Amino acid sequence: MASTGALVLSLAACGSSGGGTGNNASGSSWILGTTETVTAMDPAGSYDFGSWNLQYNIFQQLMVVPAGETQPAPDAAQSCDYDNPKQITCKLRPGLEFSNGDKLTSSDVKFSFERNIAIADPNGSSVLLGSITDSSNPDKPKLADGAIETPDDTTVIFHLNKPDTTFMKVLTSATSSIVDEDVFPADKELPDAKVIGSGPYKLAQYKAGEQAVLEANPKYQGDRKAKTDRVFVQYFSDPAPLKAAIDSGQIDIAWRTLSPTDLNDLEGNSDVNVLKGQGSEFRYWVWQLGTKVGKQKAIRQAAAYIIDRDAIAKNAYDGTVKPTYSIVPPGFAGQKDSFKEKYGATPDVAKAKQLLKQAGIKTPIKIRLGYTPTHYGPNTVDEANELKSELNGSGLFQATTDDAEWERYQTLYKQNAYDLFILGWYPDFLDADNYLTPFIRDGGFYGNNYSNPKVNALLDKELGETDSAKRDKIIEQLQDIVADDVPLIPSWNGQNVAVAGKDIQGVEQTLDPTYIFRFWMISKKG
Amino acid sequence: MAAAKGSLPRYIVQRVLLIIPMIWVLLTLVFLLLRVAPGDPVSAAVGGKLDAQAMAAARHQAGLDRPMIVQYLDYIKGVGTLHFGKTISDNRPILDVIRDNGGATLTLTLGAFIFALAIGIPLGLLAGRRRDTVTDAVIRIFGVVSYAAPIFWTGLLAVILIAPLGWPTYDIASPETKFLVPAHTHILLVDALISGQPGAFTDVLQHHLLPCVTLGLLLSGVFIRLVRVNLLQSLKGDYVEAARARGIPERLVIRRHAFRNALVPVITVIGLQVALTMSGAVLTERTFNWPGLGNQLVKYIDARDYTAVQGLVTFFAIVVVIVSVLVDIINAIIDPRVRY
Repeated sequence: MASTGALVLSLAACGSSGGGTGNNASGSSWILGTTETVTAMDPAGSYDFGSWNLQYNIFQQLMVVPAGETQPAPDAAQSCDYDNPKQITCKLRPGLEFSNGDKLTSSDVKFSFERNIAIADPNGSSVLLGSITDSSNPDKPKLADGAIETPDDTTVIFHLNKPDTTFMKVLTSATSSIVDEDVFPADKELPDAKVIGSGPYKLAQYKAGEQAVLEANPKYQGDRKAKTDRVFVQYFSDPAPLKAAIDSGQIDIAWRTLSPTDLNDLEGNSDVNVLKGQGSEFRYWVWQLGTKVGKQKAIRQAAAYIIDRDAIAKNAYDGTVKPTYSIVPPGFAGQKDSFKEKYGATPDVAKAKQLLKQAGIKTPIKIRLGYTPTHYGPNTVDEANELKSELNGSGLFQATTDDAEWERYQTLYKQNAYDLFILGWYPDFLDADNYLTPFIRDGGFYGNNYSNPKVNALLDKELGETDSAKRDKIIEQLQDIVADDVPLIPSWNGQNVAVAGKDIQGVEQTLDPTYIFRFWMISKKG
Repeated sequence: MAAAKGSLPRYIVQRVLLIIPMIWVLLTLVFLLLRVAPGDPVSAAVGGKLDAQAMAAARHQAGLDRPMIVQYLDYIKGVGTLHFGKTISDNRPILDVIRDNGGATLTLTLGAFIFALAIGIPLGLLAGRRRDTVTDAVIRIFGVVSYAAPIFWTGLLAVILIAPLGWPTYDIASPETKFLVPAHTHILLVDALISGQPGAFTDVLQHHLLPCVTLGLLLSGVFIRLVRVNLLQSLKGDYVEAARARGIPERLVIRRHAFRNALVPVITVIGLQVALTMSGAVLTERTFNWPGLGNQLVKYIDARDYTAVQGLVTFFAIVVVIVSVLVDIINAIIDPRVRY
């Protein structure tokens, strides 16, 4: 025991160098802590925030969405334009190189898409490349014949199999990252530690589940010049140690995911800034039209009159989220607060009552609310209980709540276990369609049995419409139909939040609806 | 003695051979439990993003739609040929997971044991010597509380108290140390020592303190009680009376006679505590963001990663069995009364 005590004292005498900002090898590096996990560094193997955020920093895409903006801008390509709704031509910047010195040409671009589709990793995002995929053999998807043409080293022409005005946005996503065809295998993924790209950073070290170390890529050409030589990304398995680490200055930035309670607590720490930017996270309640309750439009509309979004934001999330009145978040082209127009900004129980009376529906209506207690964070429980009390408080509903863990929940909501259930969404790319097609075309990905031929026709129309003003109008129309049919009720939009030390610059600028954490914009004073 | 020598090797061979059916039963149970539990690696990864058709295609790609018996036989065949496969959720060879993260769990559990013994044995001894006094009562209460208190609670409390002092509260080392120290043995404490990087070894040791003390406190509760009880029993022995009758001072009676005999069962319990330590390590690693196998196991359970969970559970089981056999051997060596 004496020798153990001596060991402790000697280590204490070494000072507090185990953590904290004084730990950095040089003043030009900083440490990001996150609870996100990395599935794969290879763009063909992932469809999650943790992986994509590293890929955005390591790889180039043809186009990118600059911080704070919504429209694509050149990156590896100096231009990408629609020739018609089914064809996009991109011209690469001349002289591009990967971090290993290999030239980046149109052949690498084609190879990148081709292998992503062919590998078809179950964890991957090749599903986003449907417009250039030949799925005639589901066991062996492949790049559609002639889908990508490369007439010379700097020209790439995409021939889409259907009109798709969102494909330009897909080109900005991490699934479209450009890889070196001389390094990456065509039929399988490259081990994480070996990935190389042409982006502003290169991967210097990767310890799965522990940390990634990125160093500025001297061969990068583009507008995303790195301000910091070296970046450490540390992965936390739980928010508690992440919060403790940023609170005590052991890391410089904490980003995703701290609870509203933790964020409010950190507001009181004078050594850090809690920074908030516009987010595109979307929380919504989905009606299961396969149930007796869900299939009655009057009931769905009545609930839309009753929901109090402000109370949900305040009581369940400590005011850290913003009520939303549309399936499409604010800031997106064509967005319109259709639910506010139709149902008002505040609850109107009288109108709900009148509606149900006119429809001849007896009240109170028994309704089952479903939620999953951990997948979207513990505050989901509070939201479910808040909505329940709002519905019950109107006297028109007799709501009960039921929950299941995520894996089981995904099965139950499709099996009519709930009349109304909560889901969350992050966009794959910043386009209104990414909030429409996945939700309202033929039951959506969640299989809620909603199908409206007019909606499907409008979705096809907006996907093929190149005139942005006309497209916006179609999107507005879709939102109005959704507000009327109420296959789902939008609840709130989340903010993009990070906590950073006072000596960190550039974080606030990168907090935007894309949820891309742009390492190249961030620097540390001193 | 010749009989003991003859039976011990046979006992060891029997125990080692029993590992095979034990592992097979364990693997089968884990296989079944994972598949009975809702969800699968695909739904855990991309559920909430893809429609039913895309999910079915993803499951097909992952081979999850094959008949259960085919998946089972495939896996058993792989394990039998020492091909543990790759994780489904992040495509890492299972053996790489064990290699890269096993060292962290090893040093955490060893460190915890050192603290547990350093705290538990002296306190147990003191409690035994001061039986039925206030000192005895306080130590016994401490033993019970440290054993009963949930590790994550103790750990979080420690973090809240220690973090403002500038002490590291998470991970096994600073990011720079992990970046600069090359992995030779994949045990970071050893690699830091042999790396020659200035401050690296101290950095890793500093990071070990809080988690090792937290986990060690849990274990110390067991040893406090065990040493106390065994000391009291030893003190009742005839040989102790004889020693006292010869006029040997009490402190020497305890130190040279009673205490040594009281330690013999402690060695047995150390082996039994390996399983407890490993389960405690899971919670400790989670609390301190420790990059050990326990943390990885929880991560892969969350991801419903069948092959990863099966592989890691098998590894844990093998370790527990090996340690148990080693403890039995040591027991037989130091205590001639032990027979197999």
